[in-house]
Amino acid sequence: MTKEERLKKRHSAEKRFRFYGLASIFVALLFVLILVHNIFSKGSSAFKKTAINVEVFFDQELLEIKNGATEDQILEADFYDITIESLLKVFPAQDLDQENQLIDLFTTDAEIEIKRAFLENNNLIGKKINLEITASDDIDQLHKGNYPRDLPEDRRRISDFQLIIYDNLVENKKIIKNFNNYFFKNGDSRDPELAGIGGALVGSFYSIIICLLLAFPVAVLASIYLEEFAPKNKITDFIEININNLAAVPSIVYGLLALQILLATIQLPRSTPLVAGITLALMTLPRIIIPCRASLKAVPPSIREGALAVGASKFQSVFHHVVPLALPGTLSGTIIGLAQALGETAPLILIGMVAFVVDIPSTPIDPSSSLPVQVYLWSESAERGFVEKTSATIMMLLSFLIVMNFLAVYLRQKFEKRWN
Amino acid sequence: MNEIKIKSKNLNVYYGEKQALFDVNLDLNEKEVTALIGPSGCGKSTFIRCINRMNDVIDICKVSGNIEIDGVEINDKNLDVVSLRERVGMVFQKPNPFPKSIYDNISYGPKIHGKGETKSELDEIVENSLKKAALWEEVKDRLDEPGTGLSGGQQQRLCIARAISVNPEVILMDEPCSALDPIATAKIEELIDELKKTYTIVIVTHSMAQAVRVSQKTGFFHLGKLIEVGKTEKIFKNPDNKMTQDYITGRFG
Repeated sequence: MTKEERLKKRHSAEKRFRFYGLASIFVALLFVLILVHNIFSKGSSAFKKTAINVEVFFDQELLEIKNGATEDQILEADFYDITIESLLKVFPAQDLDQENQLIDLFTTDAEIEIKRAFLENNNLIGKKINLEITASDDIDQLHKGNYPRDLPEDRRRISDFQLIIYDNLVENKKIIKNFNNYFFKNGDSRDPELAGIGGALVGSFYSIIICLLLAFPVAVLASIYLEEFAPKNKITDFIEININNLAAVPSIVYGLLALQILLATIQLPRSTPLVAGITLALMTLPRIIIPCRASLKAVPPSIREGALAVGASKFQSVFHHVVPLALPGTLSGTIIGLAQALGETAPLILIGMVAFVVDIPSTPIDPSSSLPVQVYLWSESAERGFVEKTSATIMMLLSFLIVMNFLAVYLRQKFEKRWN
Repeated sequence: MNEIKIKSKNLNVYYGEKQALFDVNLDLNEKEVTALIGPSGCGKSTFIRCINRMNDVIDICKVSGNIEIDGVEINDKNLDVVSLRERVGMVFQKPNPFPKSIYDNISYGPKIHGKGETKSELDEIVENSLKKAALWEEVKDRLDEPGTGLSGGQQQRLCIARAISVNPEVILMDEPCSALDPIATAKIEELIDELKKTYTIVIVTHSMAQAVRVSQKTGFFHLGKLIEVGKTEKIFKNPDNKMTQDYITGRFG
């Protein structure tokens, strides 16, 4: 082979490699794009909800309360009759069946929404006001264009009569879309139009805080001891291997462990963020120790020697010099560990967080859900409304993860000291 | 001839199975510069790291034999290494300032030894140390800037100032100029000349010329053994040992 031929071969090998690299990146980006597009196209509609403009008359005879009634009186009062009355006025119904179909256009919480309006302003007795009453899931999905209308009636969730009402309402501009505050505020519900991630958000928040409080100090102290103080012998080697192994243990195994020890033996309350936090802390611990030790190891030995040479004790050299330098790496490792914990589903299912919890937990020992488990729960539901809610929840979860990862990168770049 | 400050007797050092120093008997005089020369891996650095017990950091390193400073044995297990290192400072091959401000680099040592109680005392120590290290004029207006932002030679003088800051009796220098350019090296050598009035200095160097320039006494190491030691003039002009002769004339090493 001549020199020219060898040169040509070398160049083409380099070109080929570049092409493979670019192609891989392109394929990876394509997958990400498909995923993001899929989630967004399904989920973005969940942030809006459909409501129907209804004229409500607060009839004193039906309500049996007066203007300026106290909160307790209002809460006790029966708003059912005026609710039905107001809803029926939306469209003329011929018989009981049609009346039921008409009422089915609204959420089952219509009465509560009217009561809430009265709680905000208790001088409405004898007055007529227009309220935006949340529509039922079927109308919501129809309005968002997720239900086909051209199917025969017996294969539709919406009857012909309901379609007539709907078209009439659209024509009169009575149907509106507003911001879906229920999605953020409410707990889980059997009715898709009322279901929200409020409970899951709070549950996830408590779990992650407990996980952080338990895992961070233990992981940092363990890594400092192992990296700086522990003698290098067979026992520490064994511990090191096991930490690496633990980081690779499937998360569901931690769920089983928590089920046996935390729930069966110690009898902590099940389905709670407390148990979830402890389980996630166990799982996250080795995943924090590894980056923590790596960042301690990355501090050049010359810094330790410099400190020792001016007469710092081992303890002083570690805590005055090595740990502050390793802190950015430690923090970003912790945040990434927590981000993993935030997205963890399997162990939480085992400790009962998969239970249907309507109430928003007020303490970490109340039953609760969490974001990834909520995704899992809704993804199993048949209603079309839950499909968009599943995707919307994934969007929320992903945005938390992205924020956390950016924070990790930012912390590392901002505070990392550079040395020659 | 000055009095003997440091005395090593039958010093043996092992790194695991490998023996790095063999029965080294070497006396170092007070307020004098002793240069240690020899080919790479001959044990010069290992020897000076014994003087401030820096080898303690290395798990597999075992030291036997005696080193006395002012007649006190320092290889004693009960001896507090912190107070030993307060008396025996060290400057390393590569400048290793802390990634902190120039001021903090100098004030760290005095602070942990409780030497500067007040801010003004600390200021004084910082100023004096930097002046002794001939760095004051260059950095006095930017004491709060990071020490790692200085040039290589300045960094090394900063490290010398840091070693001086705790007012040691002995300063160990492990090839302090090997990472520096000739101008910075000349400055450090001048500085060493000045410092020997106050401190006992032991310097490991690969440069024969440097040994001649800065030291009064020279020890030649080869394969972990101290081959020859004596007045610098004598070692370089008229060594007793053939091996020393070969090394200083550049026939090996």
